[in-house]
Amino acid sequence: MTAGRLVACLLAAASPLVAQGSFARLAGRVPAPALRAIDSILVAARREGLPTEPLIEKAFEGGAKGVAPDKIVLAVGTSADQLRSARALLREAGETQPTDPAEVTAVAAALSRGLSPELVGQLTAVLPGEPTGPALHAVADLVGHRFAEDSSVDLIVAAAQAGLRGLRFLDVAAAAVQDLQRGQSHAAALAHVHSLLPNVPPPPRPAPAAVSRARRLQPGSERP
Amino acid sequence: MIGAGVLSATDREPTDGEVVAQVLAGDAEAFGVVIRRYEAGLLRYATRMLGHPDAAADAVAEGLVRAYRHLATCRDPSRLKSWLYRIVGNRCRSHLARRSTSDLSLDDAPPIADPQDSEAATERAEQLAQVERALETLSPEKREAFLLKHVEGMSYEEMAQVTGERIPTLKMRVHRARAALLEALKEYE
Amino acid sequence: MTHIDPQLHRVLDGELPSDDLTPSQREQFAALQRAARLLADAPAASVAARVMTEVRRPRQSLGQRFAQWLTERHTVTIAVRPVWSLALAAALGAIAVIPARGPGPVLGEQEGIAQFVGRFPGAKSVEVVGSFTDWRPGAVVLRDDDHDGIWRASVVLPVGEHEYMFVVDGERWITDPLAGRYVDDGFGRQNALIFVRPLAR
Repeated sequence: MTAGRLVACLLAAASPLVAQGSFARLAGRVPAPALRAIDSILVAARREGLPTEPLIEKAFEGGAKGVAPDKIVLAVGTSADQLRSARALLREAGETQPTDPAEVTAVAAALSRGLSPELVGQLTAVLPGEPTGPALHAVADLVGHRFAEDSSVDLIVAAAQAGLRGLRFLDVAAAAVQDLQRGQSHAAALAHVHSLLPNVPPPPRPAPAAVSRARRLQPGSERP
Repeated sequence: MIGAGVLSATDREPTDGEVVAQVLAGDAEAFGVVIRRYEAGLLRYATRMLGHPDAAADAVAEGLVRAYRHLATCRDPSRLKSWLYRIVGNRCRSHLARRSTSDLSLDDAPPIADPQDSEAATERAEQLAQVERALETLSPEKREAFLLKHVEGMSYEEMAQVTGERIPTLKMRVHRARAALLEALKEYE
Repeated sequence: MTHIDPQLHRVLDGELPSDDLTPSQREQFAALQRAARLLADAPAASVAARVMTEVRRPRQSLGQRFAQWLTERHTVTIAVRPVWSLALAAALGAIAVIPARGPGPVLGEQEGIAQFVGRFPGAKSVEVVGSFTDWRPGAVVLRDDDHDGIWRASVVLPVGEHEYMFVVDGERWITDPLAGRYVDDGFGRQNALIFVRPLAR
């Protein structure tokens, strides 16, 4: 089924509005012609055990950006497909019960940044039982700066084997990118950062003025 | 004149290694030789990568200033050329990564040919515009590979130094770029 | 897709002479050579003067450079930096800004600070809209108190990954040009992506 036909079917469908909570959140934020179609997608996602918050956020985003209703429906449907692919990858990597919505969402985000499913599978296999979001984003950062995919994965895997975890993977990627921006070749940058592991420099703390000036979000604008 | 003081006692052109040594010894003006030697090629490369002469000038200027400031990290001054192309290539990739949809594209750029030019010059300008449009349909990797090989005339070894990629990878990229460019040029026949 | 014979590739790579090419291979050879010759036309512009001006400029201290950045309208040296990679921008700020020991917000263990900075001279309003505001405008408004065109805000956010765009004058959605990390928004644009780290006290 083409994407256009899917959108048309969903827009025309009169699906029962089971998720009244979601509908209430969407109403007023998303163009009315898109509401029922998006709700259908949410119902299906919830039935499959997929996280629905990213899909609701995508609908809000489309509404805020003034996007046409059919394109919002298409984007929400695409996001749902990405979540399905992410969960399938996690299962293939050996995660028997990938119910952590954050993990499925993180893997979906990495896939949408262009990382190949094979690469995602390699990283999730190396970090069993651990959140893979930062590792995937670290690899995506490196690939975005023209480091080869396999070399990027090797570096992050080496970092994991050296004991680094979580956001520290982003420091590893940042160190390699900084070397590149100083004029080093990709190969030299990777070799240098390999040699630093696990003692890749952490980021500097924010300036005190930035901390004291920081404001919390306006009430009512935070996520529920 | 920029770089006039760099000529050696025999008045031959100094090598890149000699120029780098002179700059690192404190003779900032000697960097003018580097600019004079490589500016045209770098601007050509950046213009074809970015599709916009102003953005290309920014990328090359930023790249050359960065090269001056980090000249001490150029480990092999005899490979200065590929080191400069790598720096400017990185700047081009940064520009491409943050380019917004409102940026001027080649289609909107002012015509290259001056209306006062001859018919031959106008035809050449139109042919160039067709080739530029075809080049823009290539991915940045293939575009870069074609430019470095066929416009900048680099060997695969030099291209490996510039891009950090392995030679077999670069050969494959160049081969695909050739086919893709021919395919895109067919659209304009 | 156009097919190029391996023999022609070897000719183009300079490994074989072009004498034995077939007529169709010669056509392809000529088309590629013609394209390369056209692309080899060098642009007339020169950046020599611009570069040498920077080369000749005496290097200032970090503090002096930061002070100069604050006053020069044409200098864009700082942009959005996620809290984990403030790097030089944070170092400059730490040196040149008197540490404010004022109270500031009290952060939880899973909260950090994101600094948003963008250059929008002539703008009447700039805000950040993103996943952390439920894509609701009006929650994070940047300020340009000294009217130098550089808009700033520091915001307490939950630790983790967030997507956002700038909205200028209430209607222009702009991808942060210097975020360094992007993801397609599914609507034909790109959102910037930041990671907020815990700010342990």
